[in-house]
Formats: sequence, C-alpha cells, structure tokens
Amino acid sequence: MGQPPLVDPAPPLVRVRDFVKRYRQQMAVDGASLEIAPGEIYGLIGPDGAGKSSLMKAIAGVLAYEGGAVQVFGQDIDSEAAAERVKVRLGFMPQGLGLNLYPELSVEENVNFFAELRDVGPELLAQRKQKLLAMTRLDKFRARPMKQLSGGMKQKLGLVCTLIHEPELIILDEPTTGVDPVSRRDFWLILTQLLRERGVTALVSTAYLDEAARFHHLSLMLAGKVLAQGAPEAILGQVPGALLELRAEPQVEALNRLLAEFPQTEAVGPKLRVFMPGASPQTAPGEVQARLDGLRVTDLRSVTPELEDAFIALLHQRRQAGGETAEPLPDWPANQAPQDEGVAIAARELCRDFGQFRAVDQVSFQVRQGEIFGLLGANGAGKTTVIKMLTGIMPPTGGEGSVAGADMRRAGQAIKERIGYVSQAFSLYQDLTVQENLRLFARIYGVRGDRLAEAIARVVVLAGLAAQAEQLVSRLPMGIRQRLALACALVHGPRVLFLDEPTSGVDPIGRRRFWDILIHLARVERVAVLITTHYMSEAEHCDHLALMHAGRVIADDSPAALKTALEQEAGQVLEIAAEPPLAALEALEQAGFSDPALFGRRIHLLARDPARDQARIRDLLAERGVRLLEITPLTPSLEDVFVHRILERERQEKAA
Amino acid sequence: MNPRRIRALAYKEWREILRDRLFFVLAFVVPAALMLVFGYGLTLDVEHLPFAVVDQDKSAMSRDYLHRFMDSRYFDYQGDVASERDLAPLLADSRIRLAIVIPPRFQENLQAGRQAAVQTVIDGTFPFRTASSKGYVTAINAAYNRDQLADYLSRSQGVSRETARTMAQPIAVQLRYLYNQEMKSVWSIGAALMMFVLMVTPPFLTALGVVREKENGSIYNIYASTVSRGEFLIGKLTPYVGISITNILILWALAWGLFGAPFKGHPLFFFLASVIYVTCTTGVGLLVSLFVRTQVAAMMLTVVVTIVPSVLYSGLLVPIASMDPAGQFEAHLFPAMYYTDIALGSFLKGVGLEQLWGKVLALAFYAVLLWSASFLLFHKRPKA
Repeated sequence: MGQPPLVDPAPPLVRVRDFVKRYRQQMAVDGASLEIAPGEIYGLIGPDGAGKSSLMKAIAGVLAYEGGAVQVFGQDIDSEAAAERVKVRLGFMPQGLGLNLYPELSVEENVNFFAELRDVGPELLAQRKQKLLAMTRLDKFRARPMKQLSGGMKQKLGLVCTLIHEPELIILDEPTTGVDPVSRRDFWLILTQLLRERGVTALVSTAYLDEAARFHHLSLMLAGKVLAQGAPEAILGQVPGALLELRAEPQVEALNRLLAEFPQTEAVGPKLRVFMPGASPQTAPGEVQARLDGLRVTDLRSVTPELEDAFIALLHQRRQAGGETAEPLPDWPANQAPQDEGVAIAARELCRDFGQFRAVDQVSFQVRQGEIFGLLGANGAGKTTVIKMLTGIMPPTGGEGSVAGADMRRAGQAIKERIGYVSQAFSLYQDLTVQENLRLFARIYGVRGDRLAEAIARVVVLAGLAAQAEQLVSRLPMGIRQRLALACALVHGPRVLFLDEPTSGVDPIGRRRFWDILIHLARVERVAVLITTHYMSEAEHCDHLALMHAGRVIADDSPAALKTALEQEAGQVLEIAAEPPLAALEALEQAGFSDPALFGRRIHLLARDPARDQARIRDLLAERGVRLLEITPLTPSLEDVFVHRILERERQEKAA
Repeated sequence: MNPRRIRALAYKEWREILRDRLFFVLAFVVPAALMLVFGYGLTLDVEHLPFAVVDQDKSAMSRDYLHRFMDSRYFDYQGDVASERDLAPLLADSRIRLAIVIPPRFQENLQAGRQAAVQTVIDGTFPFRTASSKGYVTAINAAYNRDQLADYLSRSQGVSRETARTMAQPIAVQLRYLYNQEMKSVWSIGAALMMFVLMVTPPFLTALGVVREKENGSIYNIYASTVSRGEFLIGKLTPYVGISITNILILWALAWGLFGAPFKGHPLFFFLASVIYVTCTTGVGLLVSLFVRTQVAAMMLTVVVTIVPSVLYSGLLVPIASMDPAGQFEAHLFPAMYYTDIALGSFLKGVGLEQLWGKVLALAFYAVLLWSASFLLFHKRPKA
C-alpha cells in the first residue's frame, strides 16, 4: 500500500503505448506513452488542448482512439466489450466542477444514485456514505440540492460519487481547476488518505504547474505530446540550470537587457527572475551582473528552480530542436506616458446581491496608475462581479467606486472610453482576421479615422502580432488569441485596463509573453492594470493582491508582505523528505504537528519555532525508525497564505 | 439486465424532471397548451361572417332577400350603408368580410320578369374562407330563386305552394353526414391534434433529456460505469414514456370534454394503440439525441423531423387521399398518418382492432425499428 513505486515489482496498473487520438482532422494526442504503478498518484500536467482529457477518457474506456495501445489491469482496452470488463474496478470523474452531478438532486440522492448505478448494496452504501461524507465535511448538507453547493463542495461531492464503489483506479480530470485553496487542500488530503488506507491508484490531471509536487510521477503534456516524464525531482534534474532573483532599477531596462540573452527572464512584482539553463549557480550571478552593467542591482540571489522553469526550458529546447525560430522579442514602442501616480481605480464598500445571495460583500481597494493589481480567488468568489461593477456593466447594490476619475454609477459611458476590458468569455470575432478585429474594436471605441492606422500599428507591435496580422482568428492558438484580445482592449489607448482571467488555459510560455506585455504597460506606459486569476503562481507577478473568498476581500497587500505576515503569524513552512513517507506522516500527526500534508513523497508542515521543531522532528523520526533524508525551510506559497486566511476567517466567524 | 439499476436510472430521471420547473412545464403544461391553442385556432368552420348591406331599392322584396342572410348563422349583419363607396373602408379595416349591394328597381325588375343583378363583394384575403363565403352566398341566393320560382308556379298553375316547390326542384339532394353529423371541424381536429401533440412533445422531452447529459458531461457517469446500454436506455426513457402516457389521458379528456368530440370506439384499444404511438415517438427523440451534442441542436432537429411530417403528411390539414402520389408515398413513411387514422377511427367512426390492426402493426414496427436503431447506435465508448 503506497509503497515506493520504483522498487515495487508489481506490474503497472496502466500501460499506454504510442497513444494517438484524432477528432476528424484535428490531432489531439500524438504518440503518448506512460505507465502507472499501483498505489501511486500520477499526474498529467498541461494547458488546455494538451490532450490530457482524451488520454484519460481512453484509459477510462469511454473514448475510442485511433492508434497505439492502452492496457488497464492487464486488459487491452481495444473494444467496447474489453472496456466494459475493467469498468467495475474504475472510477472516472470528467472535467468541469460538478458538471457530471445532477443539480436537482440532493447531496445524498446523488451519492445514492451513483451507488445504485454501481451495484453497491444498501449496508455497504450506508457505511461508505457515512465515512466519505464525513471525510469531505459534506454530511451537514445531505439534504441540500447539489445546485446550491459552492464550487469546492461540488468538487468534493463529485469525488465522493466517484469513490462510492471503491474503485482500485480513479481517474480525475482537472479536479482542482477553479476551486478555492482550502477545498483544494482538502481534496489532496482525501486523496492521500485513500492512498494510505486502501492503496487506491489515482490518475489526476491539472493545469496548475505548482501542483506537480503532489504527484509521485507525472507527464508534462503540450499540444498532444508528452514533453517530459518522471518524478517531479527527476524532471527538474533533466534541466539543470540556475535560477536567480534580483532587484534592478530601472526594472524594464534590466528586463529587456536580460531577455535579449536569457529568454526565461520575467518580472515578478518588483523583482526579476532569471532562469539560465545549463548555468551553474556559482557563475550565474556574475553573468547577470555583467549584462546589467550601469544599473543598480540589489538582492541578487540564487534560488531553487521550479517545475515551471523546467517546463518552459524544455519547451524552448523542443522548439529549437524542431527548427522553429523563437518568437521575436517584443520591440516596445518607447513613447513615454505622463508620470501619473494618481489613483486609477477606487472601490469603496462595493456590494452586489443576486436575490438572497450576496455575491460581493463590502469590497474596498485602490489601484494606482502604473500598478498591477491582482484579484485572486476561486470560481464564484465574486471577482468577475467586481470587475463588472467597476466597468459600469452592472450596477452595484451598495457602495461606490471610481475609475479614471469618474464615478462609475453616473458615468457609465464616460468610463468605458477610458478603460480597456478583456472579458472572461472570449469576445473576438473568429471569422475575421487579426487586422479586421483590431479595426472593428478601434471603430467601436471611437478612434478617429485619421488616427486608426497609427493606433492599430501601435498595438500590433505592443502585442507582437505583426506576423499574424492577416490570419483568421479561428486558426490562431489560444495564447495568441489572448494577446489579440488584449490588443483590442488597448487600441483606443486606455489608462486603465481590466483583465478577467485572461490566461486561463494558456500554456506557460504564452502566459509569460502575456505578462511581459502587462509589465511593459504598467511600468513604461503607467497604465493601471486590474487582473483576476485563479492561478496562484500568476498572482506572484502582481504588485498588489487582494484575496477574495465568498464575496469578501480577506487579505490585501503585496505578495511578499502577505507571506511575511503568514510566517510571523503561523510559522515557517518546513519540507520533510523521509522514507517511507507515509510512516513519517503518521508519526508527525501523532506528535501533534499542525496539519502536516503530503506532497507527493514529501511532507509540508508549519513550524512555529523552526529550530526547535526541526530538532523534534529529527528525534521523533529516528525513534520511529523512519529514515529522514532532509528538512528544508520553504518560503510559503500564496496558496499557504490563502488557506491560512480563509481558515482564520472561518474561526473568527465561528467565535463570533 | 439488472432491474435495480434500471429502477435507479428511472427514479433519478423522474425526480429531475419533477424538480426542474422548466422541464416540468415542458412535460405537462406545453402539451395541453398546444392542444388548446391549436384546437381553437385551427377551427376550420366559417361562421359569423360580418357583412354590410347597400340597399338601393328599399322594397319589400329586397328586404325579404336580405333577411335570408341576416337570419343565417353563417352571417352577422353589421348594418346598412348609404353607398358602395362607404363599403371600401369597412372592408379595408376587416370590420366586414362581405357586402351585398341591391341595385335600384330590384323589385320592379323581378316583378316584370327581368333578371336583377345583386352584387356581392367578398374579402379574398383568406382563400379558404372566401370559398366558403361564396358557397353560402350562392346557396342562399339559389334558395331565394327557387322560392320565387315556386311562387310563380303556384300562381300561374294554380297549384299549392308545396306542389309548386316540387315542380321547381324535381331532384332534391338528400345529404347525410356520417361520423361527424354536425360537420364540426373541431371534432376531427381534436382527434388529429392528439396525433400532432403526441408526435411533437415526446421527442422534444426525450431528446433534451438525453442531450442534456451529453452537454454537461454526466453521460460519462453512464459510460464509465457497468450499466449496460439496454439498461440505460430503458431506465432513462421509462419516465418519458410515462409522461407521454399521462398526456394521452389529458389530451383525450380535452378532446372529449372541451371540444365535445364524441368517442365512439373502444377505450382500451385506443389507449393501447396510443401507448404504442408514444413509444414510437419517444424513439424518434432518442434517435435524434444520438446525432447531436447540444440541446439547441436537439431542439432544431426535433422540430424538423416531427413538426413537418405531423403537419403536412398526417392528414391533419390535407387528406392523404388528395395528395399527389409522391406526397402519399411520403405520408406512408411517417408514423403520424397511421395514428391519425386510429384516432379518427376511434373517436368518430367507432371502429376498433378489426379495422385498424394494420395501422397498429405499422406503429409497432416503427417503435421496434427506432428503438433497435438507437440501441445499435448508442455506444459507451464513442469516437468523440
């Protein structure tokens, strides 16, 4: 049960060889192979359209495929009849939060239906239902119709329904996308528990690279191909290199100089982050210093690279090997906007009710010109509603706001001419070319005829769309479409930009290109940017963050300050590598450490007194005969911050 | 076949339908509403035609002539106007559909044995109604002529009026309408509408119910489980057939109670034939649902495959016998025609299985065909 898969002699539970899936002419998966050992959590990571869902459906036996072989429990899944034979031992949860559940049925009725579908007898059902609902903290809501559950609860109910027949292999398609961090953490906890208690094997897909550490093994997928495979550490090992963090003034100048040499340079808030594949941590700082001659460089330090860095490096390698030239570096227009530092967006106690339901509850914040402000939260937290109120699309129930100096309640039209808005739903015209879309939006926003060509040329350069100007939008990949959507929102030269989840489903390189543009807009053109996201890693790039949960802002500060505050309040995050990890986890739980959580084969916990706790952990594990490999103090992630804040808020509400 | 799983599927579906307000309305309110709307709207009887009169003679005979129109239940007298010129605005506003103009010296001409011309102006906007109006006018006019002739004969020949009448009209047509003695179109319409409503609503419900699961992904619960195809189809569709059976009873009651259509046939035979019919139309919806992915597409396709045959090729508006051979052939391809015969036969003619077994067999054949095709086309491991 949960033994290290690498030394486990058991044959793999799932074996996929040269898998090919096409939808008519469209290639979805092109030659993927993988093996899943019993008792492990296997991850498929990649952006939308990578082919994750097709592969998972084929393994679950609910999708026919065109080439290769899929073997599950030793059975070749090559026909409908063959697939039927293994379905008893399988559980499959399709993509989309709770979409496979029945909205009109209550929580309990949903569970009962799945149980009856799966021939679970009444006694077993009662027993398992009790346990699973308690585990997911849904037992208080048994009679509540599923449609009235929050996103996180729907996801957990979906999990319960998938598990009710105790499958040996569970296949979960993006179970954590758009879910609030606490529910996400609960989800991983439940999965880990199942792994421990019943040796369940899980195949889980995700679009979040920062979840990679949760898996024992994983495949990084992009555009139908597997880019890298193995344990998270092993993938990192495939791309040796140095990751440097530094501050430099002026930031944009430094960014542009570094980008010319190191394509994996990005601005993260006030800092710059440079990944240098192949470089050694000893010589890397010198190389960077040399490039930044004449600029003021401070806080230069070497940090551990993350999987996203490795993923992007692999992508670059793959593209170079394929003879593809990298996209040309942006040639930023050097016009200097007025140095305007005023408040661009101000929200004061904004509220919005939908019937009985309060979607946004007393939200206040300020965004200055030149600032990138992030609204971070799960689906349904109220982010989009806030944006709609500030852009004058939706009247608020209470409170007030001003954007670019205009009161949003009175000056709907005036506001719209001063702002750019990229909505969540894709709003471009697919059957028009890039140029035609830009021209249309310029006209809509009232750009004068004699200035049209100039305005379009400006945003084409800004968004790096010159090569695609005459192409139809429907033919463009997701990342470029999003840049076009951005260009359309910028064509009338707004001073304030609203972006509602602009990078959902975009691959990491595309996301970085997008952020390069945002950084330029904010730093050089002093545009105020308000962006919503549910990617924690993306939130790190913002200058200022507001964490939203259930309609409220529960924290509001810069990412660094949020993390510092967490360390002061709750302690340091320690990462413990020990063998066997499950025994270590049990020992730590019994010794009363606060919320130790399993991340793949490592354990994270919060230590109030790091020095003393480290010593305690060493003694404890030695006493239990668990081999301790290493304890590493980690900087907390924004997810840690978010989870802590939500739980704290819930505790306060309970006390009140 | 595992009855527990079928029951679970059927029970789940049933509760979903009951709790989803929109779906519930679609299931029980829409069929009855369709019946009412079409029943009153499709009445093909032409009665109470508003008309006006220009009497330029104002004699005893002209008044007598006009009274024959005023007293008829087919016409509603709206009043006299002074001149023909005044008729135009009335006709244009649809305040009258018909006008009768009696020329000057109408009585004088008739009494002198000369022909008198009565001008009748009819609104030709709706050809069907126009043709009926013309028929009524001609008939009333003919009756008046006959009476005039009889009067003349009785006076000149010195025979009684009765004899004179016989002499004036040696051959009398004796008309007797069978099955629908009062020629009320609502009687026939009531029965035909059962065909229409039961052709349209069950496929709609079924197609939406199945495609809804495809659209939101809950179909994967079925694909990924050990439920067999047959179990799924039976469990999923039983509630829809059940709803349609309830609707048979509701529509039956409406046709009989509200439209006053007599029911002369065998209730049990008609009920069972109707059950076969809705099983068949439910199968249409099922088949549609296998070809589309979205609810919008399901609705459009259902409209095309149900409304067209049930309106055009069922005998609802145009009798099959008066179609051209191609039309007749097409009519035989759709189940609607057979059920129209069964419904009309049961309501108005009082015939049963002995006369209608062929039609019932055709429906049963359809039901088996549609369900088998759906079973074969439904896959738990589709290509996309």
